[in-house]
Amino acid sequence: MAVRRIDVREKVMAKNDELAAQVRDRLHTHGVPSLNLVSSPGSGKTSLLERTLDALGDRLRMAVVTGDVQTQNDADRLAVRTDRLVQAVVTGGACHMDARQISAALDQIDLEDTDLVFVENVGNLVCPASWDLGEEAKVVIFSVTEGEDKPLKYPRMFERSNFCVINKIDLLPYLPFDMDRAVAYAAEVNPDLRFFFTSALTEEGMGDWYEFLVDLADTEREARLEA
Amino acid sequence: MHELSIALDVCRIAEEHVGVDALARVTAVGLDVGDRAGIEIDNLEFCLEALLGSAPFGSGRPEIRRLGGEELSVTYVEVEDDGGS
Repeated sequence: MAVRRIDVREKVMAKNDELAAQVRDRLHTHGVPSLNLVSSPGSGKTSLLERTLDALGDRLRMAVVTGDVQTQNDADRLAVRTDRLVQAVVTGGACHMDARQISAALDQIDLEDTDLVFVENVGNLVCPASWDLGEEAKVVIFSVTEGEDKPLKYPRMFERSNFCVINKIDLLPYLPFDMDRAVAYAAEVNPDLRFFFTSALTEEGMGDWYEFLVDLADTEREARLEA
Repeated sequence: MHELSIALDVCRIAEEHVGVDALARVTAVGLDVGDRAGIEIDNLEFCLEALLGSAPFGSGRPEIRRLGGEELSVTYVEVEDDGGS
């Protein structure tokens, strides 16, 4: 039997990228920046968000889309800190979140009544790097218990991120972690990375992070009002 | 780690191009995969062999061309003629 070849030439991620572009447009229309938080499991994404919601809850209306794989735990921890904004997306064993999930989550958020959207991605330094979620920026969180060479081991994630939060700095006195080397490795992979040095536990260094978030939300809102 | 998701997307793209009725007659799906696409190519190949070799597909095979860069695309689908239309 004859075999017929059909030309396709279609990018595998095209569908996701199209949806991500729609998400991005939608957020821009409402003047709402979004940050995609990525990290390995246990680096402190949820703790960082808890602190942030506590500290900035009076100044910013923050929504969180969370991608816990197996439980409602992260969503439950965040739900006590923000009355109406947490949307849980449970990915059922998947290793990443995709733009379709974000699009569906945004349907449940009143963007006119929101200043900033956080996406708490699945804890994984590999797969989430491949999925554009329509975010304004990726923030890679990297804790000092993980070893300085994480950026070299997972370069794609650090390349694709705009910001790097080095977390758990309260533990530095007890660890052989070399901060200069960690920063140098991350900057080697991505010279444009901007760093924050935080402890979500003691709140050390969180001031810079808060200031950055408030500026980001203000800038985006002003840009929208001028448009 | 996400190769199965990618493989399922590849199957979706193949279906969009040949139609659901022709899936059982797909003999090959061609892909270009770059070395910086974030894909473990052997793993993707394994997933595609499993998916293309079982219903609604029949005995299809992935044909992966390894390239440099971030390319990740489906380039062609080969289908056996059904002898009729």
